[in-house]
Amino acid sequence: MMSNTVLVISGLVAGPLLGGLINGLDRIITARLQSRIGPPVLQPFYDVIKLLGKEKMVVNVWQAFCAYCYIAAASISLVMFFLRSDLLLILFIQAVGAVFLVIGALSSTSPFSQVGAHRELLQILSYEPLLVLVTVGVYLETGSFKIATVYAWSEPLLLKLPFLYLVLGYALTIKLRKSPFDLSTSHHAHQELVKGLLTDYSGPFLALTEIGHWFEIVLLLGFCSLFWATNWVGMMILVAVTYFLEILIDNVSARMNWRWMLGYVWAMGLSLSLVNLIWLYAG
Amino acid sequence: MFKKFIQKSRIKSPWLLHYDCSSCNGCDIEVLACLTPVYDIERFGIINVGNPFHADILLVTGTVNLRNRKVLVNLFDQMPNPKVVVAIGSCALSGGIFRETYNVLGGVDKVIPVDVYVPGCPAKPEAIIDGVVMGLDKFKGKNAEEKSHAG
Amino acid sequence: MVKEITAILIVFPFLAALCCYVFRSSTMRFFIVLTTGVVLAASAIFLIPMTPFSIAVPALPGLGIHGIIRILDFLLLFIILYFGFKHHSLVIIGIAAFQIVLLAYFEFFLIRGEAAVTTIYGDYLSLIMVLIISIVGSIICFQALAYMKNHEAHLQLTKTGQPRFFFVMILFLGAMNGLVLSNDMLIFYFFFEVTTLCSFLLIGHDKTETAIKNAVRALWMNSLGGAAFIVALVGIYHEIGTLELQRILISSTPAAGVYLLSLALLCFAAFTKSAQFPFQSWLLGAMVAPTPVSALLHSSTMVKVGVYLVLRLAPAMSNTFLSQCLACFGAFTFLSAAALAVGQSNGKKVLAYSTISNLGLIFACAGLNTSESILAAILLIIFHAVIKALLFLCVGTIEQHIVSRDIEDMRGLYATMPLTALISVMGVIMMIMPPFGVLLSKWMAMEAAARNLYAIVMIALGSALTVMYWARWAGTLMSDPFAGRFKPESQPILTWGALGSLCAGAGILSIAAPWLYRGMLIPALGKAYLPPFTVHNGILENVSGAFAVFPLSLVAAVGFIVAVWAVKRAAGARIVMPYLSGVQTTESAVFTGPMNRPVKAEAKNYYLSSIFGENRLTVWINLVAGVLLTLMVGGAL
Repeated sequence: MMSNTVLVISGLVAGPLLGGLINGLDRIITARLQSRIGPPVLQPFYDVIKLLGKEKMVVNVWQAFCAYCYIAAASISLVMFFLRSDLLLILFIQAVGAVFLVIGALSSTSPFSQVGAHRELLQILSYEPLLVLVTVGVYLETGSFKIATVYAWSEPLLLKLPFLYLVLGYALTIKLRKSPFDLSTSHHAHQELVKGLLTDYSGPFLALTEIGHWFEIVLLLGFCSLFWATNWVGMMILVAVTYFLEILIDNVSARMNWRWMLGYVWAMGLSLSLVNLIWLYAG
Repeated sequence: MFKKFIQKSRIKSPWLLHYDCSSCNGCDIEVLACLTPVYDIERFGIINVGNPFHADILLVTGTVNLRNRKVLVNLFDQMPNPKVVVAIGSCALSGGIFRETYNVLGGVDKVIPVDVYVPGCPAKPEAIIDGVVMGLDKFKGKNAEEKSHAG
Repeated sequence: MVKEITAILIVFPFLAALCCYVFRSSTMRFFIVLTTGVVLAASAIFLIPMTPFSIAVPALPGLGIHGIIRILDFLLLFIILYFGFKHHSLVIIGIAAFQIVLLAYFEFFLIRGEAAVTTIYGDYLSLIMVLIISIVGSIICFQALAYMKNHEAHLQLTKTGQPRFFFVMILFLGAMNGLVLSNDMLIFYFFFEVTTLCSFLLIGHDKTETAIKNAVRALWMNSLGGAAFIVALVGIYHEIGTLELQRILISSTPAAGVYLLSLALLCFAAFTKSAQFPFQSWLLGAMVAPTPVSALLHSSTMVKVGVYLVLRLAPAMSNTFLSQCLACFGAFTFLSAAALAVGQSNGKKVLAYSTISNLGLIFACAGLNTSESILAAILLIIFHAVIKALLFLCVGTIEQHIVSRDIEDMRGLYATMPLTALISVMGVIMMIMPPFGVLLSKWMAMEAAARNLYAIVMIALGSALTVMYWARWAGTLMSDPFAGRFKPESQPILTWGALGSLCAGAGILSIAAPWLYRGMLIPALGKAYLPPFTVHNGILENVSGAFAVFPLSLVAAVGFIVAVWAVKRAAGARIVMPYLSGVQTTESAVFTGPMNRPVKAEAKNYYLSSIFGENRLTVWINLVAGVLLTLMVGGAL
């Protein structure tokens, strides 16, 4: 009971702290790749605190409701991850947050929000089956959906699930809102639909969505870390290399449209998953 | 103590909304130049968000005329408090060389309250950055409850 | 005591229906329906401590129960034949005639002896179905009282059709109860055909040309299922020599040859009843009926007959090619119906496709045939019945108010019908989110399907598509920019009562799922399946997975309260118009356009009809479904 409480609290604390730091590092590395200097590492925290201190302004009180539900779902899914619970369940809880974000955006009549929300739905459509299939791969290899089993496994999952890790990479790129999949909303000033999904959020509610996003980043990187769970150093290297590749891909790609995203991600994702799953099944 | 923290964050993370009333785009190009690696204002945490809902600082260039005064007021109203307005270039300050044309109303301060004036035609990037930083000083004095309504 | 309660559950509705037809005053009808509902619900609840039970119905002087059913069976088939002639449908005439001939041959030449049989058998699976039929069915009938009054005022009818309507609706409840409680397959077949007839009568209730056309289509497709059913019965009797369900299940006949083919034909009959592909067009067409009909027959109860039959037969089909095919077929239906729902903007059609999709998932679970998947199937039956009924009733209420079923017309419904919009959004949330029951069953189904590659890929894709069309609808309902005070609109008490009780019921059942599992579902799994989960602290757990139902419900409740508090606090916030590039006016979504004139900014939902459109996909889906079906039935040989 005591250790569970500790895990819950560390989950709730790690999300914003780690997420914010990773976000800060992301911005610095992106800047350096663009021959700029970039902001200080603590910049995301300044952003969020500034937003929390702004005047409350809404288009619709639903935005407040949906922003809170989003951050609640994101934090609960990270806490469940820390508690080493069932991966499939964690996926579904995280999906709750994503859906509430979409509903909140749809509750505003601005076309920017509406189109952004639909693009977000298409993004969810693209990555959710793939995440389920990766989880199924973990099950076929370890015999269980529980994270506790993965930590007790003697060899790194990456050896048996290499293609599924690539598939996880697709889902990660979409979830982190990196080009070429940053259709619905994206970081910094990549405006196409103004800010897409998040156009009509402002002040404290925007801060909540940002912190919720940080929880999701930590959750997904945690998911990546499961693929080399036998050794701390290996885990760090895997996560760092993966995240750096994401930043690199973000900087060299242009934003594509939803038709290409859906077609490409499903085609590549399903084929790679099927090959890996058949290997696991036959083995 | 928490208030000090928020104040510090406001200074460290100013987000811009850049609105071009109807300028020749000279000042606008200089503003965009600030975002390039040469000046790199993201060092100060400045991001150009295109959305008044997310912005703290409104950069205005160009002359205010009968067509765009309502837009300027709308954008200013849709920014949550606390906010700062920086008028850039002589057209925004007073109408510039177009001051006497029939549709020009004059400077931006005829329509919304301005906090910082950056002269120049076009204003140099260094001057623009200076102006924004001077605007940030205003955050030290302001609090979130203060409502600045458009004139 | 058990005998009396069972008699009430099956026979009382037939008498009450007759009264509805004979006493034509609306006050009498109100009391009859209300009494029937309460009596049925109470009887069902009283049945709980008496389960399991079996009854051999005593013979009436002269005729056994079989004799009575035999006469009624032929009467029913002749009624269907009559309707075939009346509507000039060669197909119905053909199928009905075939059934009469085969039934006559079967009854008079094949069946030997009137051995004492257990006519009625109630185990926990039947009990669950009885509870759903009696409680959810009654609630729907209550709401129908208010709905039909409005419906007929809207159509400006001079002669009310409500006596006929409620006659069939109440009769249907009795027939369903009889069906799920019957152990004798011939009695099951009789009630099966009664529900077909009820569906035909109710779909064609409004007597418009489309209604009659769709009713005829439903009749022939369901009759096709009936014909397959009779052929299957002949086969089973030939192989095993008994028509008692429980004896069939424990028979040691190897599942092969004629016996397996009969089981496959029973699955075929189940597919026609549950509107699986390629038979889905009757359910889509049935949406022209008044909404209580859609809620009662075409989402909660009648279409569940097919899945109930297959679930009952599942132990007999384990480890066969038939079972494997069933799993793939079910998963395929789940995926394709979800894809078709994405391309729909008609609200009732979205609900119809969603129903077909969920039924497909239940079939897939039955086909996977592990204890975890069977448990998932039963859970899905329960929760889907309650929540889909709720959603249909909501759509019906909305439709009467805005005179349209299109989701685009429901945009911003929160402004005019706040409470109904809220309840609809709650219904959608309970369909797709944890910790509620539908997601619990979906999670369980996925964990059970993980070893079957075909099934899990299709279920994963289908599940993502499901999120898309539900989230889109929920968002559209709330798409109202102005946050005024919450003032619930006025609706008849019966409507609020029905919607509220279904909504609350679904929520309570979801939270109580672990205890429901321990009390009713483990026994419902029967001796053929070991309990797949252990329960502790309200968490369902086994070696490969865990679902923390109660802790998550608690956290969700807390989160909900916090979010509502946030909304109250946000009520003091500054309200602004949405961002429209600075040219917004003081009206929502209106901006100053060219020539300084106001222009309305319109955004519609993505229906992606070029990819997921009904006319594009249906042909291919039917083709693949036909191939899978042939594989399944033919492979049984």
